[in-house]
Amino acid sequence: MREDRGLATLEMTLVLTILVPLLFSILEFGAALERWLAQDAATVQAARFAGEVGGDTPEVRGLLAEQMRASGVDPATVTIEIAPARVGWREPVRVSVASEYRIAIPFLFSTTLPLRSSAISRGEVNR
Amino acid sequence: MKALHDDRGTAAITTVALLPLLLVVLAGVLQLGALRVAVTRVRAAADLAALVAVNNQDDRELARTGVLRLAGDAPAVAREYLARELELSAPLLAGSADEIAAAADIAAFAAPPAFDERTGARYERPTVRIAAEVPLRTPVFGALVFRPVTTVNVLAVSAPR
Repeated sequence: MREDRGLATLEMTLVLTILVPLLFSILEFGAALERWLAQDAATVQAARFAGEVGGDTPEVRGLLAEQMRASGVDPATVTIEIAPARVGWREPVRVSVASEYRIAIPFLFSTTLPLRSSAISRGEVNR
Repeated sequence: MKALHDDRGTAAITTVALLPLLLVVLAGVLQLGALRVAVTRVRAAADLAALVAVNNQDDRELARTGVLRLAGDAPAVAREYLARELELSAPLLAGSADEIAAAADIAAFAAPPAFDERTGARYERPTVRIAAEVPLRTPVFGALVFRPVTTVNVLAVSAPR
């Protein structure tokens, strides 16, 4: 019996160092994908709205900020690009949103994933 | 007999032996998640293209009669914007955005009521319908003896309010 002392601890340590990173990988990447989906949906809505209001307006940026906040993202950390800033009648308008998501896997690594979303709509304001 | 009942190290050996399987499961789960994102993206692309196309109304007809009527080039607009939207997700696609959009079945029902033979739906307002087969890259599935390309069927229907 004396020989077995510590063996269980050693085994448990070995098992945990393998299983914990696996579990956290699934959780962390799942959360990143969920965040990416939310950002994609917000971007599509913003593109549609940008077409309706005629381009890069405070209302479009406000909508995006509200959507990102609802997804648990600080809007200050998000890069938004709306081109062209003033869209003409039936011209394409593109909204791009970029943010970063930090992933930390215990015992393995931590890194930052760039999440990029873009959508194109069409100008509906006949100036 | 003593050696047969010696369980020391069994858990560790089992875990190490199962590690490749666990890694395969992890890779499969991540690929499934990425596929879900890709499917959502191409569906959103088709939805937005249909929305843009249905807003392409015949302005003269609207000014003259006050009735919403799709412009003649609505299907072309839908195809153009489907290609534009898909191009934004080009790294996820297993084909070119232009080819996928060109092969899409796009129909404009300008004069309601109309019956859509493909979906069996009846439209009471001017409607644009996009049906497309979009091949998506799934390299991890390919490495796991499944297909490296997963084709998703996308259907988007839009009508003006």
